Amino acid sequence: MKASPDGRRPLSLVQRARDDEPDAEMKPLDLGIVRRLFGYTRASARKRNGLIALTVVRASQLPALAWVSALIIAGPIAGGRTSSLLGWLVGYTVLAISTDALFHFRQRFALEIGEEVVGRMRAEIFDHVSRMPMSFFHRVKLGRILGRVTSDVESLRVGIEHVIFVGIVQLGQMVFAAAVMAFTDWVLFLVVLGLAPVLWVLNDHFRNRLSRDTRAQQESFSRVTATLAESINGIRVTQGFVRQDTNAGLFRGLLADHSRYSMGTARSSAILLPLLELNSQFFVAILLMLGGWQVFSGQVDVGVLITFFLFANQFFAPLQVLGNLYNQALISMAGAERVFQLLDTKPDWEDAPEAVELPDPREKGPANGGPVAADFCGAGVEFRGVSFGYDAARPVLHDVSFTARPGKMVALVGHTGSGKSSIINLVSKFYLPTAGEVLIDGREIRTITGRSLHRQTGMVQQHNFLFAGTVLDNIRFGRPGATEADVRDAVARLGCVDLFDSLPQGLRTVVGERGSGISTGQRQLVCFARALLADPRLLIFDEATSAIDALTEARLQQALLTLLAGRTSFVVAHRLSTIRHADLVLVLDRGRVVERGTHAELLSLKKHYAALHDQFTRMGGA
Amino acid sequence: MNAFPGDLAVEPVSNGRLIRRLFGLAWRYRARCVQVLGLQLLLLTLGLSGLSLTGLGIDYISWVLGQRGEVRAVEFPQAKFGLQLPQSWEPLNVLLLIAGCILAFAIVRAVLNFFYTISINRLVQQRLVVDLRGEVYDKLQKLSFRFFDANTTGSIITRVTGDVQAVRMFVDQVMIQSVIMIVSLTIYTVYMASLHPGLTLACLATTPVLALISVAFSRHIQPLYAQSRELVEQMVQHFSESIQGVQVTKAFGREQEDREAFAAKNRAVFDQQKGIFWRVSLFSPTVGFLTRINMIVLLGYGGWLVIHGELPLGTGLVVFAGLLDQFSGQVNQVATLVNSVQQSLVGARRVFEILDAPVDVSDAPGAKARPRLGGNVRFDHVAFSYDRNVEVLQDIELEVKPGQCVAILGATGAGKSSLMSLIPRFYDPTAGRVWVDGIDVRELRIEDLRRAIGIVFQESFLFSNTVAANIAFGHPDATQAQIEKAARVAAAHDFITQLPQGYDTVLGESGNTLSGGQRQRLAIARAVLLEPAILLLDDPTAAIDSETEHEIFEALENAIVGRTTFIVAHRLSTLRRADFIIVMEEGRIVQRGTHAELMRVPGAYLRVADLQLVNREDASALLREKEERL
Repeated sequence: MKASPDGRRPLSLVQRARDDEPDAEMKPLDLGIVRRLFGYTRASARKRNGLIALTVVRASQLPALAWVSALIIAGPIAGGRTSSLLGWLVGYTVLAISTDALFHFRQRFALEIGEEVVGRMRAEIFDHVSRMPMSFFHRVKLGRILGRVTSDVESLRVGIEHVIFVGIVQLGQMVFAAAVMAFTDWVLFLVVLGLAPVLWVLNDHFRNRLSRDTRAQQESFSRVTATLAESINGIRVTQGFVRQDTNAGLFRGLLADHSRYSMGTARSSAILLPLLELNSQFFVAILLMLGGWQVFSGQVDVGVLITFFLFANQFFAPLQVLGNLYNQALISMAGAERVFQLLDTKPDWEDAPEAVELPDPREKGPANGGPVAADFCGAGVEFRGVSFGYDAARPVLHDVSFTARPGKMVALVGHTGSGKSSIINLVSKFYLPTAGEVLIDGREIRTITGRSLHRQTGMVQQHNFLFAGTVLDNIRFGRPGATEADVRDAVARLGCVDLFDSLPQGLRTVVGERGSGISTGQRQLVCFARALLADPRLLIFDEATSAIDALTEARLQQALLTLLAGRTSFVVAHRLSTIRHADLVLVLDRGRVVERGTHAELLSLKKHYAALHDQFTRMGGA
Repeated sequence: MNAFPGDLAVEPVSNGRLIRRLFGLAWRYRARCVQVLGLQLLLLTLGLSGLSLTGLGIDYISWVLGQRGEVRAVEFPQAKFGLQLPQSWEPLNVLLLIAGCILAFAIVRAVLNFFYTISINRLVQQRLVVDLRGEVYDKLQKLSFRFFDANTTGSIITRVTGDVQAVRMFVDQVMIQSVIMIVSLTIYTVYMASLHPGLTLACLATTPVLALISVAFSRHIQPLYAQSRELVEQMVQHFSESIQGVQVTKAFGREQEDREAFAAKNRAVFDQQKGIFWRVSLFSPTVGFLTRINMIVLLGYGGWLVIHGELPLGTGLVVFAGLLDQFSGQVNQVATLVNSVQQSLVGARRVFEILDAPVDVSDAPGAKARPRLGGNVRFDHVAFSYDRNVEVLQDIELEVKPGQCVAILGATGAGKSSLMSLIPRFYDPTAGRVWVDGIDVRELRIEDLRRAIGIVFQESFLFSNTVAANIAFGHPDATQAQIEKAARVAAAHDFITQLPQGYDTVLGESGNTLSGGQRQRLAIARAVLLEPAILLLDDPTAAIDSETEHEIFEALENAIVGRTTFIVAHRLSTLRRADFIIVMEEGRIVQRGTHAELMRVPGAYLRVADLQLVNREDASALLREKEERL
């Protein structure tokens, strides 16, 4: 964007972030990648082999058709032989039918194989990604992963469907045409051959120019859409501050800018296409003169000339197609490389191979016929000298030790960055400690599988993600086998039946991507119900910090107590009323536990906690 | 006054009216359309000349050979348009002449082709699309919030981008293209008929079949493609959600189920596409074969004619083959054209919906200009509803004097935000009046009214632009000094100067993410930069975590000095500071008074206060402590 003359900031609505490194659009051909890609067709090997055979046959059929028609014109027609014309025509018809019949299979198989490979790849990416530990998702942006599974995989499909199979047909067609022409008259063929490089160079030059232009055009368009998106999301601000006219002016500027780039692209293709056509007309002119001279001097027959007129295109047309296919191949290569890169990303860590399932004592109890001891309902958690950092250089927890006895509630209190979330991440085995041990039910966390631990864990987060679907589905998420009655029962235990019934369609209300359609408080309740239904022994609760309207808040507090009862729980607490219920309050400061005890004990210490408490009460107005 | 805010397209527009309107749109660009068509006509003629010259060359060679007795004698070839080949010239020179003509025509054609592409792109990319997008954008910005609540960002973006393209498609790919098609098909047919009517009829026999099949097929396959797009969308949506909700999935150990669910969606895509593949692979060979039948007829019947001397080889058969080829090329376009019509109608409907949407709030004729407003706000028996059924506000009576601060308390949906949004006329009341400085807001110029009002929303939207540009949003010409002054009032100056590029830091880049408290302070700075007489604060602490909440209290306290302030709040600490408080329930004001007054009477306010004072012992302990310290 240009700077204004008086040196002031140029006016704009949106500035582009500078740190989104663009993906490479093309990559040179790499045999390793091609081989690996080819491996994906192994599952449909018979279809693939059949298809390759079909393409080879088709590559000869297309020029054969042209040849036969040239032979008919040059032979029986030019020579005036009615009797043989009919025979030739029957031959042509048979060839035409077989060509088109074969085309059905060639096209269908190619499309199917392309889709099969792409589907397999998508499934593999999904599996791979879903096995990644949390650190991966904190590091990699959603858009990047989505790009792999959409545009990159799509470019691979084109690569397989077109580059390989159309490529074979076109190349074969060219070779066949060349052979026929050389066989018919090699002098004229040399002329054709001489024009080929011209065509190739022309095509190549403009293709590069076009792809440059297209990229610039797309970039300018992304400026348009980015501004558009922000204009829509910020419409309240715009109207509130009466900026409509200014914004409209800026947007028109962007549109004009974009149209300049579009014209640039148009200009390039406006030159290329006529030039290509000119080239073929040039060939016709040369053929007429050179061929005419040869004919007059009795060297060749007039039929040869006609053959060439009809045949040259069989040779020239693939040249252009192959050029485009080559480009496409490079694009697919870049896509394949990125996909394989993702698939080859090793998880930072995996469950140790000798890791065992964390037994659930509740399952044993009834099997033995005996009741489950109350102690067994919650899991025991112990930290022994735990240190941890998201990257090695910056540790966020130092030598943390504590014990959470089964069924007890631990509140984590401290400023942002004091290490509360890290403790939660370690308890739930989203990350592994860099030093020290985390024990669950007396077992080192590395010796138990993440899956078995998670089956006994429930989690309610601050920003609660609800999946698109009904409230019912979302609550059932933690226990897919649950019936609607089970869900109602859970909701009833939380004492919130009326709140859910007041939703537009009750439990069947559909909630959107970010749980839109229901309020923050209701969203939280859905998560409570989800956790309660899963009936975990270990519950992790990251309390919402933002204000919820006062009446809903009171309901939440009640529901929370129900949810926590009989489970070991870790609560990142922001409400005094929550902290007061804790059996153990851990006060964290810069990665260390600086105070521990109950609410009352800590208050009487009149140190860290008391200061925090003071702040809370002032803020909360209590 | 039937249409309610946000309602689009009250009644469906018929296709006929839509098409008429699209023609009207094209009429605005008639000069350029005519230019494009003229060029295309010229190109068509020149193309045919090239083809017929090639035929002429072949015939001439045959004639020369016939004269020498090497092959059957044929008639001397006739050039078109009464032109005559010089019979006396050296044969090779004649060929040179023909070849030269072919080349000359080809060059002219290439140049014209260049101009054609340029001029159609000028029409479309430089004029039509720019104008239309600009118009839609202008209109969008004037639409009420209801529209933006009802439509997702993605779908609105599509209207400005894809749908506008669909509309312009009507001009260049439907209108112009169909004229070109009709003209060229006519010319080809006439030319072919002039060569041999019988052969023309025989060769074109399959054409109607071809056109019908193409159209029928595309009608048949379109819904399948739409279905396929939907399935793919669902699959991608699932993928995206799985990543966004990965922590939930992992925490509940549901990865396996999730993988299976994705696999099922992935498979559904393939299974559905398989059907499409079958149909496509049936269609294209059929079309291919139908086209080849023409060739068989030409070779058989045409060949017979040539043999019997009724058709010349070059100017007859070869030219005919060329014409036939271009003819079927055009016929194959029929299906594309039909699709374009459908697509552009769908797009046009969506674009015109926006262009036709009533602007609910606009300046009344003769609206009063009031560059400075004082800040007296009065609600007089105001009622309001977004749609006819649910009354959001009922019988609101309220007066706020200049400089007063009123706090509004109430549960979600009680009507707090709606009440505030009536002051800057984001909506108009359905009954009653809102007065500012004794003037009904509907009689004020909207620009003056809104400039006198500063607004801070629950979650303030900041643009991906520099800090300075965001603060100066309402007043783009603000000086650096003005911007800094506003930032200081909002207690934001200190943290801004600590950002990597200070006021020039672009928000949204990694590392430049601000905390909720910082964002709200920028929003407050943005609001106070205009020195508004009235300040609307819609729950400005809602989205901020309690740890950084205190950061914005200083900002708020500075900001409200000397301004009429409406603030939605939940926390007693904020409520207590207001000059008076109104408590809202289901669209009505149920209580009003100062904090002290309301604490004395049983009611909603006291209940809320009680809830927040859950820990009375703690509070009293704290009080005791403070007293001790004193």
